[in-house]
Amino acid sequence: MNYSMVKSLILKDWYFQRMSILLALAGGVLSLGIVAFGGQPGFTLGLILLVTVMVMLSAMSVMGNTIGERENQTLAFSMSLPISYLEYTTSKILGNLLIFVPFWLAIVAGCLGLIVVAPPIRGLFAFTVIMAVEILISTCLMIAVALVTESKSWTIAAMVTGNLALNVVGYLVAHIPSIRDGMWSKAIQWSPTATILLTAEFALIALLLGGTFFIQSRKKDFI
Amino acid sequence: MNDLSVQFDGVSKRYPHFSLENIHLELPTGSIMGFIGANGAGKSTTIRILMGLVHQDEGSVRVLGHPMPADQAAAKLDIGFVSEDMRLYGAATLAWHMNFMRPIYPRWDQPYADKLAQRFDLKPQQKIKGLSHGQRVKAALLLALARRPRLLVLDEPTTGLDPVARVEVLGELMAALADEERTILFSSHNTLDVEQISDQITFIDRGRIIDSDDKEVFLDRWRRLRLMLPPDVLVPRLPGIVEVGGSGRLPVLTTNRFEPAMVSACNDLGATVQAIDTMTLEEIFVANVHSRRERLTA
Repeated sequence: MNYSMVKSLILKDWYFQRMSILLALAGGVLSLGIVAFGGQPGFTLGLILLVTVMVMLSAMSVMGNTIGERENQTLAFSMSLPISYLEYTTSKILGNLLIFVPFWLAIVAGCLGLIVVAPPIRGLFAFTVIMAVEILISTCLMIAVALVTESKSWTIAAMVTGNLALNVVGYLVAHIPSIRDGMWSKAIQWSPTATILLTAEFALIALLLGGTFFIQSRKKDFI
Repeated sequence: MNDLSVQFDGVSKRYPHFSLENIHLELPTGSIMGFIGANGAGKSTTIRILMGLVHQDEGSVRVLGHPMPADQAAAKLDIGFVSEDMRLYGAATLAWHMNFMRPIYPRWDQPYADKLAQRFDLKPQQKIKGLSHGQRVKAALLLALARRPRLLVLDEPTTGLDPVARVEVLGELMAALADEERTILFSSHNTLDVEQISDQITFIDRGRIIDSDDKEVFLDRWRRLRLMLPPDVLVPRLPGIVEVGGSGRLPVLTTNRFEPAMVSACNDLGATVQAIDTMTLEEIFVANVHSRRERLTA
């Protein structure tokens, strides 16, 4: 693996997404402010805004860096560089994740920080962590579909599926007794079920990314 | 040391509606090969296989000694590639592209890149999306040449260029040929461009290589014989005649194996050779394609 070439491609993708990252950062800080200081209505509105900003950043990154390469015919330029398919795939997966994950971590840390300092909502800790990782899964799904299909339509379908799944998973998780019972507690409640759910989520992420590498390594036509 | 920069051996690639069949192609180091074919003949597919961007179904490909596509990353370090359907990043400047590529290619030649920018009248600080088509092709060519590649692969680089830009691009390519170690594969359906710079010619049609030779050999062995036949004398049947045109008593024979003895053979058969015309590369290409297609349908 030519790591310096992968790094060059990741830095390139960062460069082209710098405005999206800045916009998302501004939106994230604003949303966290609304959550912290907006009272009960601000709390709900702020959370919706936070999810929207995270989805927006992952969509802009994947659409711009992965689908955009094919649509703008810059893929031939990238693939004419001294890289293999595997290095290209690695750079795209890592590039998109390195744009999204630091922002996601900062937002999740901000949310969890607010939950920890506000006793009435401390019970939401486990639910928030599980839903935050669910958002990461949606992003990984979008990256995987974009790389494997190289299709804008399929990637949009993956984004919609991810967003719908977020609502469905949120509803289901909130109705699991061991999670539901702890949600209204004034102390952080972490159950074995939460650990199982979190493990399953990370396993799904590993499956999505591993599957992407596997499929990409079997591709015969890259352009 | 292998003196072939490119070697295709029995390469095939099949798609539902097109197939590249049994391609044998050898490009000696230091040569300039014109790769000519109509639209959809298989030029770009061949070049994509050469670049490792498409995997062949059968056969082996070696580029600069590297097996493809397995060792494509190492091979591409020494290849400059410009393709008609390749775009640079519109939101970035030419200077950004140069800065991006400089650390990747150990032989990157910045003074040469600056000289080319000046010669091509390109402003490094201008964004790519603000450039005309001709300027974009020149920018891509600059980026390919400044890495000082051992192999330059150009897939229809002059398509869509205005005459002035075409002459400038071809002029710079000819200057690049001064380096005898550099090998060039130049694909085009514009035979005039290919004729100017190539020393070897390969014709491809419907996924098959139909002829490949030195340019001078092509130009020497293809001729049109304009005959006049007396009444009751048939068109002479000679070896190497690929096409018979003209009308009744004034036939025109196209041959791909011309030799002066053909004239006396025609005379012996009762025909008078009125003229022997040399052929342009375009005429040779068209005659070659037509004769092959006729053979296939016969």
